[in-house]
Amino acid sequence: MKLDHSQPLEYSTHENELNIFGFWIFLGAEIMLFATLFTSYFTLENRVGSGPSGAEIFEISPVLIETFLLLTSSFTIGLAVHAMRLGRQKAMIGFFVVTLLLGLTFLGVEIYEFVHYVHVGAGLQTSAFTAMLLTTLGTHGLHVTFGLFWGTMIILQIRKRGLTAQTAGKSFIFSLYWHFLDVVWIFIFSFIYLKGMM
Amino acid sequence: MRELFPAKPVMGFVFSLVLTLIALSVYFLDLSFTAGLTILIVTAFVQALLQLIVFMHAGESKDKWAIYGNVYFMIFIALITILGTLFLLIWDM
Repeated sequence: MKLDHSQPLEYSTHENELNIFGFWIFLGAEIMLFATLFTSYFTLENRVGSGPSGAEIFEISPVLIETFLLLTSSFTIGLAVHAMRLGRQKAMIGFFVVTLLLGLTFLGVEIYEFVHYVHVGAGLQTSAFTAMLLTTLGTHGLHVTFGLFWGTMIILQIRKRGLTAQTAGKSFIFSLYWHFLDVVWIFIFSFIYLKGMM
Repeated sequence: MRELFPAKPVMGFVFSLVLTLIALSVYFLDLSFTAGLTILIVTAFVQALLQLIVFMHAGESKDKWAIYGNVYFMIFIALITILGTLFLLIWDM
């Protein structure tokens, strides 16, 4: 395969370039997926029926912890891509591991949060509001869960095959996915939690 | 070790934390709904742009116009979907 050494490794072949662009198009579709969830949430957020409203069930501390964890993990996966461009495989894997651990902790806090909601009587079937809230948060949480498995596979591949154009391309695409999940969380943090508690 | 923490992402991270703190002010300060929502809209979109440019390297490759075009088009459609639905179903216009 023809390698273009004027480009970073993940962009060094034409196929890599197309793969990365293809993933951007996929992220465009993901923007729409979350846009429809936000649409439904904003439409239904006041339909609380006999259940609780957002202001009654949201708690600021777990939400802040989740935000901080995800922001930091977005930073560390950025550092992983930087280390990859320097050819520092060990440092890169280190940053990948830190990223995934932060993601795992995020997921733990989110699961705690879900258990708490069900505990205070805000389950999936309580009202239109709780149904849409848990669907939106859950879709994001499922993406994070999927990312944890995906990221683990990439670490294993890099350990086995080293940094090649192929593994670098995959790692870069994973970093795009992870940053995207952080962006979605920022919107959840701002327009579901903070707006709900304002 | 130092070369692993370049200035650009570190500054980006600090800035994203600052934006989060500014957004958080709507929880602690007693602002009007309009003022609070304005702060949230500004901080969320600046934060998203920051991720896009600093961390996702959106402007670095040859196909950057295709990437930006695709993303901005989808954001545009997303906003039409969200605001259009609110116009019809919530704001009753």
